Amino acid sequence: MSTEFNLISELHDKTLVIKTEGYINNAGGEKIVQELEKHTGVNKLVLNLEKSKVVNSIGISHLIEVIEKLNQVNGKLVFTNLDPTIEKTFTIMGLFQFAGKADSIESALK
Amino acid sequence: MENNSLVEKLTLQSESFQEGFETLCKSFSFDEMAKNFLHLLRGNFISTKIHLLYKATKDSNWNNIHSQEKFSDADLALLSLNNPVTIKYISGEKYNAVVVLPLADSSYLGILIGGKLDGSVLNDFDKITLQILLQIFDSAHKSFINQKNEKKLIFELNEKVLQLNNLIDTGIELSRYENQNILFDLALGRIVILTNASSALIKISDVDTNSTENQITFPTNISPESILNSEHKIESCFDFNNKTYQLVLSEKETRKGTTSFNDLDAMLLQAVSRQVRASLENEYLLGQSLEKERIEKELNLAADIQQKIIPKELPKIEGYQLAGINFPSREVGGDYYDCIDLGGGKFALIMADVAGKGISAALLVNTLNAALYSYLEFNLPLTELADRLNKLIYKASPPDKYITFFAAVLDSNSGKLDVINAGHNPALLLRKDGTLEQIEAGGIGLGMLDLGIPYTGQTLIINSGDKLFLYTDGIPEAMNSAEEEYSEERMIDFFKAKSGQVPEAFIKSIVEDVKKHAGQAEQSDDITSLILRRI
Repeated sequence: MSTEFNLISELHDKTLVIKTEGYINNAGGEKIVQELEKHTGVNKLVLNLEKSKVVNSIGISHLIEVIEKLNQVNGKLVFTNLDPTIEKTFTIMGLFQFAGKADSIESALK
Repeated sequence: MENNSLVEKLTLQSESFQEGFETLCKSFSFDEMAKNFLHLLRGNFISTKIHLLYKATKDSNWNNIHSQEKFSDADLALLSLNNPVTIKYISGEKYNAVVVLPLADSSYLGILIGGKLDGSVLNDFDKITLQILLQIFDSAHKSFINQKNEKKLIFELNEKVLQLNNLIDTGIELSRYENQNILFDLALGRIVILTNASSALIKISDVDTNSTENQITFPTNISPESILNSEHKIESCFDFNNKTYQLVLSEKETRKGTTSFNDLDAMLLQAVSRQVRASLENEYLLGQSLEKERIEKELNLAADIQQKIIPKELPKIEGYQLAGINFPSREVGGDYYDCIDLGGGKFALIMADVAGKGISAALLVNTLNAALYSYLEFNLPLTELADRLNKLIYKASPPDKYITFFAAVLDSNSGKLDVINAGHNPALLLRKDGTLEQIEAGGIGLGMLDLGIPYTGQTLIINSGDKLFLYTDGIPEAMNSAEEEYSEERMIDFFKAKSGQVPEAFIKSIVEDVKKHAGQAEQSDDITSLILRRI
């Protein structure tokens, strides 16, 4: 079933920047994990969710997997441009204990 | 080997075992843990011919872990589940030791240990070391499983908190929106989060014809048909304002694919569905309230306009008694009466009723009033006055609006009464001897048609003791709760019966009689009357 999810990524040295668009569900979450796995040696992932307004808990479980993968290499995940509802969701799910957040990609890359 | 020597060597190794345990515990996955354990085994036994195999369940096959080694059926046959945990030591074979270790999650770890690099066989120290390493792996694996379960429990707990929080937020946010499209988008976005649905639909159809009026999906690129035809779906429906709203959820997601929705999902869908209905009702009631407020404002304005042109005080006419009343209904009508002093002992008595109610009726009365004052200054014959007013009202009003109009010009000195009746209820002239005359001469209501049909006037003489009774249809057509009219007959009978009353007293008593007839029924039209009596 089509899920209206797209992503684009850019590599800045060992930092991968992913911009998502659409529903982050099982399919969307898997695509994010796969995109990270494509780039070996990455130790920082900046995930821009400006165009994703809905994330379900299966999508969140994939994001936790991303955090754990980055932890293995002493890396870090930073979320940017979060919708207030998603930010609240991530806070409740405890994601910010292991991941950072920033207002923009630029500030996340600093 | 001497026991003392063994103890000494094991004591020296204890720190290494501790480090090994910590390394295993830090493993991110079972795969990584197995890889670390393999390193531990190979390091301790100085052998590259050590292989790990994994069996997820009792009935599944053995799978290689971190090894390209091809195992024969004979090799695999060594990994018997008959005596798990037993270490089988074999001499002179490909493998010196074989272990099947049952794990905490009902899976199995198989270990095949071949020859050491120096060609020696496993000695007592190696055998004790193997026992210790197996215990270390078992403990580390249990810790790994506990951590995994703990993470799962924390995730599920957080998920429940999130669900509760989302449900509360959904209720608050849905109640805020007045725009239906935003409301539906928000409801769909929220319900897919609450239930982990892949997609959702709101279908709106006509209750009577069942024809679809609108379909909103989440995500937006999914066709409504694919949601309605999906394998796993739940739905909730409600009817409101002659429309059926059908909320459908499709394919509950898990990490392993999609599954059917559970009872909690159905309850959450019902909750969101009720909230959507409440928001639609609120929106509807707000609209109704604003419309009511608008109508009330219009009615107040209409009442103000009407009351400004109704005379507060009637002129005194020498030798006559005059009284008038306008008792407005709740829904402002377009009744109008007046007595205008024309000078020289002449007075114009006016009674009019605009078809329709509200501000448009009040404005038309206002137009009539202004035109009337203007034309009366020119001392026009009533027929010409009526003709001019007809043309004016015809142009100034919409097709469904017209005015029934009665005018009389009284010469108070002679008692001469020139009258014209443009479609109004007949005026009643009750002679002193009890004879009743109904004055109908005139023509069509003002503004009805402009075909040049001339109005016909009438001239009468009002003598001492005669009474002229002008009224609007609010009196004969006043209804009680059984929808029975007060009637023209009853009004005429009352007029005759109370002929002895002075005009002011008569007006009071006829209004009381009308109200008595109406009882609890709401007054549907203005009650307006003007009585002239020659003393």
